[in-house]
Amino acid sequence: MARLESEVTREIECIRRVQQGDGEAFGPLVERYQQRIFSIVFHLVRRRDEVEDLAQEIFFKAFRAIRSYNFQSSFATWLSRIAVNHCYDYLRKVRASRISYYSEMTEESARELERKLESPRARGLDHGEKLSLRDFVSGLLARAPEDDRVILTLKELEDFSVEEIADLLKLKSSTVKVRLHRARKRMLEDLERWRQEGK
Amino acid sequence: MDCKEIRDLVSDLWGGELSAEARQHVSKCAGCEGFLRDARLAQAGFRVLAEEAMPEASLGFASRLVRRLQEWEEKGARSEFFETVGRRFVYATLALTLALLLSLVLPTSGPVRGVAGADFLGLQSNSQSSQPDVIGGDLSDSHDLIPGRLPD
Repeated sequence: MARLESEVTREIECIRRVQQGDGEAFGPLVERYQQRIFSIVFHLVRRRDEVEDLAQEIFFKAFRAIRSYNFQSSFATWLSRIAVNHCYDYLRKVRASRISYYSEMTEESARELERKLESPRARGLDHGEKLSLRDFVSGLLARAPEDDRVILTLKELEDFSVEEIADLLKLKSSTVKVRLHRARKRMLEDLERWRQEGK
Repeated sequence: MDCKEIRDLVSDLWGGELSAEARQHVSKCAGCEGFLRDARLAQAGFRVLAEEAMPEASLGFASRLVRRLQEWEEKGARSEFFETVGRRFVYATLALTLALLLSLVLPTSGPVRGVAGADFLGLQSNSQSSQPDVIGGDLSDSHDLIPGRLPD
């Protein structure tokens, strides 16, 4: 508890120093949050080769805007918000060049996978099955509209609570719940439509 | 329960237990059965994705970034200075050019300008005629020197 408090105090001190023009003090903040930002970027963008560049751009934006940070929300939330917005813009930019298909999954293999999914953490799956599930969901996310993709990623991959997402996206919790519900439904209906068109 | 309600329920519960009524519908409806299966596969797929190894920052990412930010700040301050000075220089040059153009384009005297100016000066000199000049002379003496003055 005392350690956590001292970390928070050190963080506040670093932020204030950067706000006063000491660029060196930004280093510890980058070190502390780089993994979090890498995770958000990777889950949202899903391009390993782009993650570091995008993370760098996000920290750059944060550095430029740090004087406007007023300690209303936690620094982690403020920084994550910048990351989500940056990735959202990136996704919109690359949308035109993005061609996504659902991976092939036969009805039979889907049933087989479903049977194996009795285990709550999918531990009963072998490497190949995990790969096909990964491709399947990557396809679902790639085809989803950016807003749906952001909210699904934050909930399902970043494991944020509804309240945390609301804080991050500056929305009401009830709005986040509705958007999550719609995003899931849209995603599954899109898959269903795709399957029907393919038949 | 109809298919729409089932789909809403599946999207809402997202892995939660369906009611007996809902399960009964799903067991008889191929479309809803497929929808539920896809939902379960998607949930499992999300779990697989969440467990995937994350790309790590390259060695020295933070220090490299801070160095770049400092360079950018210095460059930014320099370019801001030159930008401000440059902008002022451009404004000053524009103002000078405009003044020069006006002095070239506008005539020094003319039918309207000359008369109006003379009129104004004439009136002014009339009103000042009773006042003694600083060097002791009378301003009325200089009336004839004003070009374009209307005759009395």
